[in-house]
Amino acid sequence: MDGSMSAPPPEPVTYLCGDCGADNTLKPGDVIQCRECGYRILYKKRTRRTFGWNSSSSST
Amino acid sequence: MGVSKADEVDDGDNIVSSHKEGLEAPVKTAVDKFQLLPSFLKVRGLVKQHIDSFNYFINCEIKKIIHAQGNEKVTSDVDANFYLKYLDIFVGEPCVEQDYIYEPITPQQCRLRDMTYSAPISVDVEYTRGKEVVVRKGKDGKQEGSINIGRMPIMLRSSRCILAGKNEAQLAKVGECPLDPGGYFVVKGTEKVILIQEQLSKNRIIITTDSSGSVAASVTSSTHERKSKTNMVVKHERIYLRHNTFGDDIPIVVVMRAMGMESDQEIVQMVGRDPKYAGILNPSLQECAALKIYTSHQALEYLGSKVRSRNMFTKQKRTKVDEARDILATVVLAHVPVHQFDFRAKCIYLAVIIRKMLEAMLNREAVDDMDYVGNKRLELAGQLLSLLFEDLFKRMNAELKKSMDATLSKANRSTQFDIIKLIRPDTLTNGLEHAISSGNWAVKRFKMDRKGVTQVVSRLSFIAALGHMTRISSQFEKTRKVSGPRALQPSQWGMLCPCDTPEGEACGLVKNLSLMTHVTTDEEEAPLIELCTTLGVEDLSLLSGEELHSPKTYLVFFNGTILGVHRRPNRFAEVLRKLRRAGKIGEFVSVHVNPKHRNIQIASDGGRVCRPLVIADKGVSRVKEHHMKELKDGFRTFDDFLREGLVEYLDVNEENNSLIALYEGDATPDTTHIEIEPFTILGVCAGLIPYPHHNQSPRNTYQCAMGKQAMGNIAYNQLQRMDTLLYLLVYPQRPLLSTKSIELVGYDKLGAGQNATVAVMSYSGYDIEDAIVMNKSSLDRGFGRCIVIKKSVVPMKKYANRTADRIMAPELQSSAKGGVQVVARQQLQDHDGIAAVGEMIRPGDIYVNKQSPIDTRNNVNNPMALPDSAYKRTPQTYKGAAGETAVVDKVLLTSNDENHFVVKCLIRQTRRPEVGDKFSSRHGQKGVCGTIVQQEDFPFSERGICPDLIMNPHGFPSRMTVGKMIELLGGKAGLHNGKFHYGSAFGEPSGHADKVSTISATLVKHGFSYSGKDFIYSGITGSPLQAYIFMGPIYYQKLKHMVLDKMHARARGPRVVLTRQPTEGRSREGGLRLGEMERDCLIAYGASMMILERLMISSDQFQIQVCTKCGMIGYYHHKLKICLCSTCKSGDNIATMKLPYACKLLFQELQSMNIVPRLTLAEA
Repeated sequence: MDGSMSAPPPEPVTYLCGDCGADNTLKPGDVIQCRECGYRILYKKRTRRTFGWNSSSSST
Repeated sequence: MGVSKADEVDDGDNIVSSHKEGLEAPVKTAVDKFQLLPSFLKVRGLVKQHIDSFNYFINCEIKKIIHAQGNEKVTSDVDANFYLKYLDIFVGEPCVEQDYIYEPITPQQCRLRDMTYSAPISVDVEYTRGKEVVVRKGKDGKQEGSINIGRMPIMLRSSRCILAGKNEAQLAKVGECPLDPGGYFVVKGTEKVILIQEQLSKNRIIITTDSSGSVAASVTSSTHERKSKTNMVVKHERIYLRHNTFGDDIPIVVVMRAMGMESDQEIVQMVGRDPKYAGILNPSLQECAALKIYTSHQALEYLGSKVRSRNMFTKQKRTKVDEARDILATVVLAHVPVHQFDFRAKCIYLAVIIRKMLEAMLNREAVDDMDYVGNKRLELAGQLLSLLFEDLFKRMNAELKKSMDATLSKANRSTQFDIIKLIRPDTLTNGLEHAISSGNWAVKRFKMDRKGVTQVVSRLSFIAALGHMTRISSQFEKTRKVSGPRALQPSQWGMLCPCDTPEGEACGLVKNLSLMTHVTTDEEEAPLIELCTTLGVEDLSLLSGEELHSPKTYLVFFNGTILGVHRRPNRFAEVLRKLRRAGKIGEFVSVHVNPKHRNIQIASDGGRVCRPLVIADKGVSRVKEHHMKELKDGFRTFDDFLREGLVEYLDVNEENNSLIALYEGDATPDTTHIEIEPFTILGVCAGLIPYPHHNQSPRNTYQCAMGKQAMGNIAYNQLQRMDTLLYLLVYPQRPLLSTKSIELVGYDKLGAGQNATVAVMSYSGYDIEDAIVMNKSSLDRGFGRCIVIKKSVVPMKKYANRTADRIMAPELQSSAKGGVQVVARQQLQDHDGIAAVGEMIRPGDIYVNKQSPIDTRNNVNNPMALPDSAYKRTPQTYKGAAGETAVVDKVLLTSNDENHFVVKCLIRQTRRPEVGDKFSSRHGQKGVCGTIVQQEDFPFSERGICPDLIMNPHGFPSRMTVGKMIELLGGKAGLHNGKFHYGSAFGEPSGHADKVSTISATLVKHGFSYSGKDFIYSGITGSPLQAYIFMGPIYYQKLKHMVLDKMHARARGPRVVLTRQPTEGRSREGGLRLGEMERDCLIAYGASMMILERLMISSDQFQIQVCTKCGMIGYYHHKLKICLCSTCKSGDNIATMKLPYACKLLFQELQSMNIVPRLTLAEA
């Protein structure tokens, strides 16, 4: 684990559609809308982390 | 119907009812009519009054408005050939336009996306375009083809709402709770109720006494075009008309003269020839003669001179006489129609008012009771919205006309003029939306300006929301110290809940509807008037003044106006009622025969309160056993009972013509109606109380207020709703001692409390003043554990220069080990910069890493690609009690109807009860948790039963809540025979409440004492207690007031910039005020140094330099290190002293106003 190595691009955060339940990814500036059904309410998924923040170390 | 023989009226009673005697008489059997109630509520719902009113507005009233004179056509001043005529109007289905596509929308989506649940209003029009007449019409109520003029917020569960007629599964599919009553609006994401407004009835003669004790009459006329109030007063034994169009009080005889009654004899005949009336009228007649007014023209001239001249700029010059005549015809008593200046009807109306006044002068009991519920009308959402809609519609038409005239007056236009393009739907949309969301109801035309008409639906508990829908607010000022309007009125029986009213300033002014109350909507008048004439009402215009008050006839009033007279009033009323029971006329039409005033009042107007009752013939109920069986088997609904004339609605006035038996057994041959269930006199909130009829009345009132603060379940969709603040119980229970109301409203499905085993005994001394001792193990098991969920909304704003807020990934920093690490406060975020669901959150943590552009005004070249330096951090940090952790429960991303990106976060906290948390039983017995004791130290019974909480017995003697004791007994019996016991109000005779004797028998059967007392061992010593302890389950509510949200202390902390005194309030970490009374104590005690310390040293002490010579404030020169007086320009006589900063501020403010405060110092 060395600090000089730049972290690889993190996997995008996916959101659940409030209607059909499909996974969605969003980029900045995107319209908030499900790609499958067009529903405009998205929810964040529950975290898979067990404890603490360890993304920078776990991915290398 | 007590018409005595002396009245000489041919009483219809004998004919109608004499045939049912002897063998033909119906057989008396007591029938359990309770089943009617659930079926009534099934068809009606709990908030039918709101929904009916709104439906009536949407379907009928709105059409009347557009067809009203003055609304129907828009014409141009410029082009005489132009017109636009509204043919029809529809309110469509709720939908939303997104990217030019209309899609249907659900209320739940509106709540989540902060949108308004509204539907387009479309009109069919006919108008001229150039030389042709164009008709734009929608097809079969569809919008295509017709023209959209705005959007109407839609009431939930109304006929236009998508929820109408949906079953439980379908409701669940659209994310709605099946138990939610509807009846409110969703505006900009918040739920708003339009409170029911209570008013005096319109178009009715009301006789009152004024402050000096003399008789006065007032009529508030209300028609579609005009509202006016006409008063008649008695001054120096003469009667005057007072109206705000006249500058002076007008002698009533002059008014009569002006309306064409030139002969004194006619006037006297019309009022009543009886010498007792004529005698009092004499001074009024003489005054008119003294004024030398003998003809109609003279009277009109007199009136013309008294007219308050308002608009000087009226175009048409009319003579004073014409003006006065016009006012008499259209403004004074505006609801009495005058066709082509035929004042006959209005004269008679005036005469009737005068007669009533004279009666009241002779007999003080004839004065009307303003607080009588029959004299009140309830204004509901539909009526209020129609007022607003008409105003906005008129404004829209005026705007349309203005912009049209502007376009048409231009000489050459490039395109053909099409008015459709000028219609702006914003006026209506914004007007309606704004009024509902702000609660400000302003209709200029009627000089109406009400504030606080709408309220945010209280979602603290299910019952709070329900109770909010039935609330009635009164127009009376809260500050007035009159008891009349606040007192319980006997006529409220069965209509308004006698228990549910707030304590304090609004006590008695804010009321609640009872369980079965319905509020009427307007009914078509013309057919009813026609029917009355057919049934023998002699028309007014055919009668002379003499015939009007003949002792053989009754006057017939229809919605406040006089129709004529009838010779057989009782027969007439009987026939009308029979027609109503047969369904030939509306079920809410009321007929009221008043033998005292010798009149019949027929009412079909909206806003009357009424309730259903079982009809009885000669004291025998029409509802029989087989009817109830059919109902139970599902072959019948409540509407069938109504249609077949077994049950009918009575309003408050008609109740006075009937004799209502409480139970079938109490019925006598005179009985006309039988109550369906006595407990329906209570409303939804009071319905939760078991055995309320055993409690002292104020205790039930307290419980009504507290039931709304109890934590429990809110709705089936409570976790999807994203409420700003949500209190939930972890393990809510259904009360062991239930009532029928509880089952009817659904409290057994969405309870707000837990059944606690309560021991009524003294324990530990931490239970004084209603404090409760709690069992620690019970708390471990989950008793009273609650969830608090707070919502925070993070809107991503878009600015005028097309820049916008943005959310950044969490910031990184180099860690001590050499790697990179996320900043401590942002570790709960995902890569998207928003907290991850399920993460722990502590005070100070950033859950949305938002950044805002620094420059939001000036134009920026490329708004999408601003450098990082152009942003400033505007993170959302969690603020909560230090040391307490919470969990991010839900994160929702959406866009509202303006396409703004919104993030909503729910932050959840689970709390277990602690010392100071507030609890209450259902009997107005609140108390805080005084101490929490280990179960080992708790008392226990022989059977090993250990109470969950201990209540001090001192709570009982003064409160007299016997209901609570019976609840304990009933609950205890219920535990042991495995069924829910009932304690409905007044339920013992009908079997809806278990009697104490039967409960006691059950207890004995299961080996307990009949009294509910148990043999108890002390938990501390293990020895038996000296007394038997009253122990058993009582349903306890946890109230929303919790110590964690309230506790506050401060030693040092923030200060206000201006005065340098400590801030105020817990939210600002404020200081604790030592107020006037505390100060007085210290003065009395002589603790001067303490006062100095509290009021200055610990608050805003400040050191100043004072010039002893001139008494002005100087300063300390930091560079020269000397004190100086800027007035004397010297530092010789400076003294240093301490004083409150606020005092120094005062001196400086005085100086700025050219007042010189000088300090004179003396050696202390």
